[in-house]
Amino acid sequence: MSNAIVVDHLRKSYASKSGAPVQALDGVCFEVPEGHIFGLLGPNGAGKSTTVKILGTVSTPTSGSASVFGFDVAKQPLQARRKMAVVLQQTAAENMLTVQDNLLIYAYLHGMSRRDAQVRVKQVSEEFELGDKMTSTVQELSLGTKRRIQIAKTFMLDTPLIILDEATTGMDPMMKRRMMDRLRTEARSGRTILLTTQVLSEAEELCETIMIVDKGRTMASGTLQELRKRSSQMFRVALSFGDSDADLSRLLQSLNPAKLDVSGRNAEMVIHAEESSLLSKLADVSRTVPILQFEVRGPTLEEIFMQLVKEAA
Amino acid sequence: MNGAQAVFYRDYRQRITNKTLVIWDLLAPLAYLLLFGSGFERMMGGTIQLDGQLFGYTDFLVSGVITMVTYSVAMNSSWSFFTDKESGIAQELLTYPITREQILIGKIGFNIVTVLLGSIAVIVVAATLLDASVRWERLPLLAAVTVVSTGGWFFVFSAFAIVLTRMDVFYASTSAAFLISMFFSSMFYPLHDLPRWFQGVSYLNPLTWQSDLSRFALLGIGEQRALTYEAGALVVFCTGCLIFAVRSLNRADG
Repeated sequence: MSNAIVVDHLRKSYASKSGAPVQALDGVCFEVPEGHIFGLLGPNGAGKSTTVKILGTVSTPTSGSASVFGFDVAKQPLQARRKMAVVLQQTAAENMLTVQDNLLIYAYLHGMSRRDAQVRVKQVSEEFELGDKMTSTVQELSLGTKRRIQIAKTFMLDTPLIILDEATTGMDPMMKRRMMDRLRTEARSGRTILLTTQVLSEAEELCETIMIVDKGRTMASGTLQELRKRSSQMFRVALSFGDSDADLSRLLQSLNPAKLDVSGRNAEMVIHAEESSLLSKLADVSRTVPILQFEVRGPTLEEIFMQLVKEAA
Repeated sequence: MNGAQAVFYRDYRQRITNKTLVIWDLLAPLAYLLLFGSGFERMMGGTIQLDGQLFGYTDFLVSGVITMVTYSVAMNSSWSFFTDKESGIAQELLTYPITREQILIGKIGFNIVTVLLGSIAVIVVAATLLDASVRWERLPLLAAVTVVSTGGWFFVFSAFAIVLTRMDVFYASTSAAFLISMFFSSMFYPLHDLPRWFQGVSYLNPLTWQSDLSRFALLGIGEQRALTYEAGALVVFCTGCLIFAVRSLNRADG
């Protein structure tokens, strides 16, 4: 399978308002195979949007390279742009124009014929429940609807690559779910999707490959399973206890968990330990309070993310 | 639809849905023509002498009002750069498969059509309601002067709109520049009886070059040598503005 995106030692620096140099990207490398959903995660200021802007040909790298379907985004921007539909972080919709005009003009600006654009507008307006708003100007609509229009624009096109920069921000849960289902369908049909998000559950659910960046550097990358392996000494333990007078919180705190939630006779904790020592610690606990049920799982993406960011800090 | 056509269509939809801009583009210059034309013509006794010939003040004013249309349309069009920045479209536009040249061609194309429509409206109103003289056979020359000038004004305003971050600064500075340069020009009165320093400043003003060349096209008046210099200066001005606009657009990218 060939790669839709290849990013090689990408660096981007610029001068801040005070004149001090800012290193937004510091040698980021990754590849996204065709038909994959790739998630770029990181806290604010990590370099996600800078990466998206470079891939989207909005800005140029200071050094390194990035290509989309073999076209260098800095040297062949027009060819690269023909391969992608990009949703940037800022909600971009023409406020003075109607929803219909927004969708049509977007299609025209991507070279679509009037006839094809009209047909596609009908499909997209139904799918994104914009039918009754088609003649409203965008300035009359809520932020969530504006965001929906922006996502709908992307599906006006059949470009092989879709880039979404925190696209679900401000979207209602139903629409978010519909969009995620649609993205999965698009990926199955061979389209490649790169998304950035701070909602880690979205990435966990959607992405086949995930890269975590912070301060312009790659912290970790791989499939969710691979990331879990990296955090192999981190476990999520759910416990149900039998009746006892013992103080559960105090007892479990003695295991030094990274995170602990106790609710009645149930507890959930994240703990760093060797697998064998974890089991022996749980056996010690069961001698004081009977454990009726327990479940040990790998960490969630959020926990891996928090750990990596903490380590970097 | 190719990129330039799509940009043209986008500008058309933006303009047609904003009635305020339509009023400023067309109705304000027509109001100037009707009010100043009929008012000043009566006040000045009906005629002014130019190149040894007598003309009505309205005859003189028409080319000034066409210059005004050119300037106003270009200024109003360049506001879209601010609305694009505010709405996030300016950045998104850079991800579309269109070149910067196509963006400029689409935008300048829409401006030229709007200015030509506005100029036709001015000429028709002047000829039918105010009985102004028009040398119809020379209208292609007037169209050429108007097209070149539209390019110049659009490029200079666009460059400032791209560079400046605040719309109020842009609006205040362009409006003030228009008011001052309108009076230091031959748009509304002949310069030959005015003080030499005033004439000197006015002849450095592109509004004077456009007004004089338009007047030559409409009435056949003006000194050949001066008009040649003004035509050359107008072309240099437009080329310089184009280079400035393209550089600003390129510099606006990260």
